[in-house]
Amino acid sequence: MSETMPIEEYLQQGGMLSSPDNVPPRYRGELLRLTASFVDSELAGSAGFADIINDAPGIQERISAARIVLEKTDHAGQVLKIMETFGVDGGRYAAHHPWAARLARDADIGAARHGGDMRLAVFHYPLEGWEDAVVMNVLMGAASVVQLKELSRISYQPLAETFRAILPRERRHAELGAAGLARIVADDEGRATAQTSVAYWYPRVAASFGHAGSARFETLSRFGLRHQPNETLLAEWRADVDAQLSALGLIR
Amino acid sequence: MARFHPLTVTDVRRETRDAVVVTLAPAEEDRGIFDFTQGQYLTFRHKFDDEELRRSYSICAGKDEGVLKVGIKRVDGGCFSTWINENLKAGDTLEAMPPMGAFFTAIEPDIAKHYLGFAGGSGITPVLSIIKTVLAREPRSVFTLVYANRQISSIMFREELDDLKNLYLGRLSVLHILESEAQEIDLFTGRIDAEKCKALFKSWIDIKSVATAFICGPEPMMLAIAAALREHGMRDDQIKFELFASAQPGRARLKVESAAAADQGASCEATVTLDGATRIFKFPKHGKSLLDAALENTMDVPYACKAGVCSTCRAKVLEGEVEMEANHALEDYEVRQGYVLTCQCYPLTDRIVVSYDQ
Repeated sequence: MSETMPIEEYLQQGGMLSSPDNVPPRYRGELLRLTASFVDSELAGSAGFADIINDAPGIQERISAARIVLEKTDHAGQVLKIMETFGVDGGRYAAHHPWAARLARDADIGAARHGGDMRLAVFHYPLEGWEDAVVMNVLMGAASVVQLKELSRISYQPLAETFRAILPRERRHAELGAAGLARIVADDEGRATAQTSVAYWYPRVAASFGHAGSARFETLSRFGLRHQPNETLLAEWRADVDAQLSALGLIR
Repeated sequence: MARFHPLTVTDVRRETRDAVVVTLAPAEEDRGIFDFTQGQYLTFRHKFDDEELRRSYSICAGKDEGVLKVGIKRVDGGCFSTWINENLKAGDTLEAMPPMGAFFTAIEPDIAKHYLGFAGGSGITPVLSIIKTVLAREPRSVFTLVYANRQISSIMFREELDDLKNLYLGRLSVLHILESEAQEIDLFTGRIDAEKCKALFKSWIDIKSVATAFICGPEPMMLAIAAALREHGMRDDQIKFELFASAQPGRARLKVESAAAADQGASCEATVTLDGATRIFKFPKHGKSLLDAALENTMDVPYACKAGVCSTCRAKVLEGEVEMEANHALEDYEVRQGYVLTCQCYPLTDRIVVSYDQ
């Protein structure tokens, strides 16, 4: 059984890789880019949410916010551990950027990466108070669930397993957000604030799915690093959050 | 970053005509870091004429054997495996990194599970480690091994598997599939492909009872088996792959020596290859990294931290010379082979040739 095949062909046919020693150079680059984007987004998201703990209106909300901050940091740590097997200096990496830094609320950077890290553009915008943070968490939480379901099929098996373990906890974060939002919209003032926040965050979270017909997607899918195109994931997200928001009377 | 530690070779046993089993002992103070999990591998390094090569080999010992053992089959043209098969002897020292890999599932002593393993040739090594460990530590679990080889004489660990069958009566079954040797049952002759899997799952293996399947072997065999398992209802999280190191080159190529010409220009002409496409552009020698220059020239090159930490932007310099401002990710041997972090990379020569594809 010594017959082999080129690694690219193996990947294209759904093969899985399991060690840094076996990955081709371009696969390595794209895998690290993808993991860096996840780690940076989790660290930036968690750092931004940390300040919000003090805005929480009650003890249960405070616990939920603190738990989200803790677990998102832990998820970053788990994926960074895999990056370390490729030679990444994890200690320096975790401290190489001010993760809490944000741009102005009205900055318009589209979906572009900005500054020295790979966080999704949506994590460059600042949160404005508890209600705003909850809306952002509902919308981005649903996006994370869609993205993680996609990434659970990634062709690098140690990473696929980590994403599968992370998925239920990220799903729980989205559920905590949904519960919080239901409490917020219970009165008119809260509903009005939430509506403003939905208008602000909805397009920005939608942009985080990337362009339709992305050329990078072609490369990633050739390597088995992605399976469903950006537009399909975006549509799945829209269906999910539109149903949630209309059930709460936040969109028609 | 993981470091190398010396291991003493305490035994080299010939397993088949072209494979040996090497037993290794860590130094007393390193015992803890070499406490492996079943199915993990060791990465070794050795110098061949000043050129450092690294190779990974799976541990074939069980958790309860109290030793480190690796099985190494000689690969045609494989520098490292040939050296180990022909030159290594007891008393020598090998340098290895601590055990790595995630080709295992958690041991649950109280639960009765049916494991299914597929091994092709020397792909048996991590699977053997898993078999020995689960049979010893999960007294109610059973294991079915489908083991593919060319012929009887090339089967690694044949006797050891027989001994395990006798030791754990009724809990280990082994189906030998031989490519070029006829057997009593036709099903057991030939290669493991989709058709053979289907036949095996019909009359010999009840896939519905299987908790986890482990597959280690060459690429086409792994693909065929994984596809058949999925078709028979197994989920992705129940299928564990370990691709063995067939894709590793025999010998690292030497870095192309650059002509030490007078390189006085203020700018550098860079020839950069990405995904098989090559672009040529000029950029100033100072003030702009090679990565930024490539990005400005609309190349979609990979990068992340831009701080010399993450190594996403790694590429290989094929011609010319560059210097790196910071490097927290590449090891000395990679730098010697010509690898650079392009985010930290500034040209010294008037011309450089760089590839992200190698």
